[in-house]
Amino acid sequence: MDNATAPGIQVRKKPLKTRIAKYKWFYLMFVPVLVFIIVFYYTPMVGIRYAFTQYKLIKDPVFVGMKNFNRLFSLPNFWTAFYNTLKLSIGKLLLNTGLAVVISLLLHEIVSLRVKKLAQTIIYLPHFLSWVVAASVFQMLLSPTTAGLLNQLLIKLGIIDESIYFLGNSRWWTSTYYMINVWKDTGWGTVIFMAALSAIDPGVYEAAAIDGAGRWKKMWYITIPALSATILTVLILNLAKVMNLFESAFVLQNAAVMDKGQVLQTYIYYQTFNSGGIPDYGYTTAVGLFKSVVGMFLVLICNYASKKVRGRGIV
Amino acid sequence: MAQATTSKSAARQHVGKKFSVFHLINGLFFLLFCFLILLPLWKVLVDSFDLTTGYGMKLLPEKFGLAGYTSVFTNKSLYIPLINSVITTVSGTLMGLLLSTLGAYVLIQDDMPGRGLFAFMLLFTMIFNGGMIPTYLVLRKLELTNTLWSVILLPAINVYNLVLMRNFFEGIPKSLFESATLDGCTPMQTFIRIVLPLSKAALAAIGLMFAVSYWNDYTNYKLYITKETLYNFQMKLRSIMMGSDLPQANNGAVENTVQNAAVIVAILPFMILYPLLQRYFVTGITLGAVKE
Repeated sequence: MDNATAPGIQVRKKPLKTRIAKYKWFYLMFVPVLVFIIVFYYTPMVGIRYAFTQYKLIKDPVFVGMKNFNRLFSLPNFWTAFYNTLKLSIGKLLLNTGLAVVISLLLHEIVSLRVKKLAQTIIYLPHFLSWVVAASVFQMLLSPTTAGLLNQLLIKLGIIDESIYFLGNSRWWTSTYYMINVWKDTGWGTVIFMAALSAIDPGVYEAAAIDGAGRWKKMWYITIPALSATILTVLILNLAKVMNLFESAFVLQNAAVMDKGQVLQTYIYYQTFNSGGIPDYGYTTAVGLFKSVVGMFLVLICNYASKKVRGRGIV
Repeated sequence: MAQATTSKSAARQHVGKKFSVFHLINGLFFLLFCFLILLPLWKVLVDSFDLTTGYGMKLLPEKFGLAGYTSVFTNKSLYIPLINSVITTVSGTLMGLLLSTLGAYVLIQDDMPGRGLFAFMLLFTMIFNGGMIPTYLVLRKLELTNTLWSVILLPAINVYNLVLMRNFFEGIPKSLFESATLDGCTPMQTFIRIVLPLSKAALAAIGLMFAVSYWNDYTNYKLYITKETLYNFQMKLRSIMMGSDLPQANNGAVENTVQNAAVIVAILPFMILYPLLQRYFVTGITLGAVKE
């Protein structure tokens, strides 16, 4: 409002009451948003207190102090799930980002715009399919029966003698999981790098060409440094979300691969909704609280790193 | 759009027109890469039309037939999930857009007392949350579980989309708001007559992001819905794939044909719209970068 005033001259703000009255319609417009975040985000935060209780729904919660956490930290299943969460999330993050950078660099070299557009259209596509669809597609493609394309191909080529149950075998599950993630999300990951590449001043390339730089020199000395800030941003933004891993692991896992595929969120899910007995909501809330706290620290660390690297936080 | 033009000239200038071995290899690489991306989907499409078992390595149907699809479409138990998907996608997207635009419009009022608090309340939810179980317990207490309201309302408030919308609104010249106010527009009128018409690209981009996530939603259904009559198509597809809920195969269709056909039905609406709408999806992701 008062931006036009010359710097140095203090502008006395109008009294708070007048300013609030001026914005009364805006407060009214914000009410729906406020109701939604209070109901769906802040009320559940109050429910965190169940983490310190035994809560089986039929009875009122009973306070048990730190018992849930003691139980949790003594269970090997919990630590496996925690380890898998970090491994799978970070693994797929590094793999997807690395490959997305390489593919962006190569996309950038395509001369024909029509070809480039077509390639982009195709590689973005799987990102928009649901995880249920992705799981269904690969369940059939990787099937160990005669209907499975990959197994049939590998047998025909003489690489293997017997079908491999890629999604049902602990030895193969993790790499299969990464591969499906690459299929689904690497292409879409190039969008942000393509935007960064198109922002490079073409004059820089011309100057380099005049100085006698070839394709690889240009890529190494101009393109890759120009991408480094974007790469860091992508890594930081996604590192903050590693604890949330759920759906992709949930639809691709099965009883035979739980040692590799169980992550914290799926552990909570099974303990609560599929445990066979009466679930203890207090215990699973405690697991969730542990997950949220670790997640929060990751966000704060990433936020700090982001401020250092690019001068502004992630949130 | 400006970015697209720069990228055109940049590509032309730095790559040059000369054809080289590098371009040949690069072209072949993308041919292979695109082939590998499309192959799984092509295979599903082919198998959905193939009435024999043991498809293996075939890339064209051996015994062509539509029985897979007739099995899917004559199965009444699939109508309700499809209808549920449509209802939640349409109403959820509208509600999501309403909340995102309202929230974003308030967040760009720099001078408004309390704006900082509102922004903090929104952003804090991205840092910390109650978690899966406390959220479930709240929905249960509100008696929203086992109603479509749970899967419509909960994802409608999406702070990330709201922030994207705010980034877009920030690009609208402040003078437009001021002159609208001088002309006697109330804030609501300014919002409807000035802000929304100027934001068509952002509405399309963010609306599509909402629509895709509603159509693809599985997690929320899995958590809050146990009644089969409320399943969406993703839930139904999952139980078909798990073999627990296979529609009766008829007219010579086998189990696999029906499963493949069901996958195709699940992705068909999107596949038809995707080539037309692709640029809006890309707009969506680049909105996030506008602020820098």
